[in-house]
Amino acid sequence: MIVCVAVVGLQNNPLYLQSFTEADDALKLHYIVHCSLDVIDERVNNPKKTGSTMNETFLGLLYPTENYKVYGYITNTKVKFVLVTTDLDVKDADVRSFFRRFHSAYVDAVSNPFHVTGKKINSVFFAERVRDIVKSFGTNTTV
Amino acid sequence: MGGKEVSESCVNSLVTEMVSSYCNRFYSTKPELAARRIEAIGFQVGLQLSERYTMDGSRFIDQLEAIKFICKDFWQSLFKKQIDNLKTNHRGTFVLQDNQFKWLTRMSVDHTLPKPQPDSLASAAADNKTAQAASMHLYFPCGIIRGALTNLGVPCAVSADLSNLPACSFVVRIKA
Repeated sequence: MIVCVAVVGLQNNPLYLQSFTEADDALKLHYIVHCSLDVIDERVNNPKKTGSTMNETFLGLLYPTENYKVYGYITNTKVKFVLVTTDLDVKDADVRSFFRRFHSAYVDAVSNPFHVTGKKINSVFFAERVRDIVKSFGTNTTV
Repeated sequence: MGGKEVSESCVNSLVTEMVSSYCNRFYSTKPELAARRIEAIGFQVGLQLSERYTMDGSRFIDQLEAIKFICKDFWQSLFKKQIDNLKTNHRGTFVLQDNQFKWLTRMSVDHTLPKPQPDSLASAAADNKTAQAASMHLYFPCGIIRGALTNLGVPCAVSADLSNLPACSFVVRIKA
C-alpha cells in the first residue's frame, strides 16, 4: 500500500507531499522523504562504476527502513519524485509504470499557466490524478 | 501517444499578435520594456516545454548534450525541423543557426521603401528597418531557449542575430 508520494524541486524544496494513510504521521513521512533526498544526491553525484545509472531516470529502491520501502525517480530537470510504500513484494515494473504516469501528471500540472515554478503545486486536478494513480498501483493496469 | 496538437498557423498568428500588442499597445513608448516582457513570457514557456519534452527518460551528461537536445528534439517538436547549424567557440558561447525560422518565413518586407542601391545609406536604412521589425519577434524564441536551457541546468543568456536574413542565429552565452 502506498503511504506517501512527494515531489521535490531542484533546490530540494518540497513541491508536493501527499500521504495516503489515516494515521496522522505526516511529520514522520516528511522526515523519511527528507532522508531519501540524501540518498538520491549520492546516487546522482557518484554513479556506481558498474551500474548504468548515469542515464536512468528511475533510481530504484533507495533504502528500506523498518517497515517502509522508498523508491526514487529523477527527471531531466532535476526534479525528484519519492514514493514510500509498505508493500513487501513490489514489482520493479509496477513502480516504473507508476513513476511514468506520475511524471505525466506532474508535467501537466507544471504546464498550467497559473502555476508558479518553484512554488507548491496547488492544483486540485493534479491531486485527483495522483489519487487515481495511487489507487491503481499494484493492479495490472496499462497506462 | 495521445498528445494534443495545435495548428501551426494559429501559433504563428498568436505570437505575431502578442508581439504587436506588447509593442504597439502595452508598452508603445518603451520598447525595451516590451522586449523584456516578451522574453519573460518566452522563458516561462521554455521552462514548461522543456519539462514536457524531456519525459522520455534519457538524462544528459553535460551541457553540450543539453544544447544538442535543444537543436534536435526540442526544435523538431516546436518547428518540425532541426537547427541547421551549431557553432561553438569552446569557451561557453554557442551559435544556433536556423536558415528558415518558421515564425519569420511568413513576414513580408515593406516594399514601399526606396529600392536599395548598393553602398548607399538608403539601402542600409531599409535593411535596418526590416531587421528592427524582425528582431522584436525574436525575443520570444530567445526566451524559450533560455527557459529550456535553464531548466536543464545550463544558466545562460540568449540573444538573436539577424545579420543575414532569412537565416537567423541565436547566440547562447553560458554563465560560468
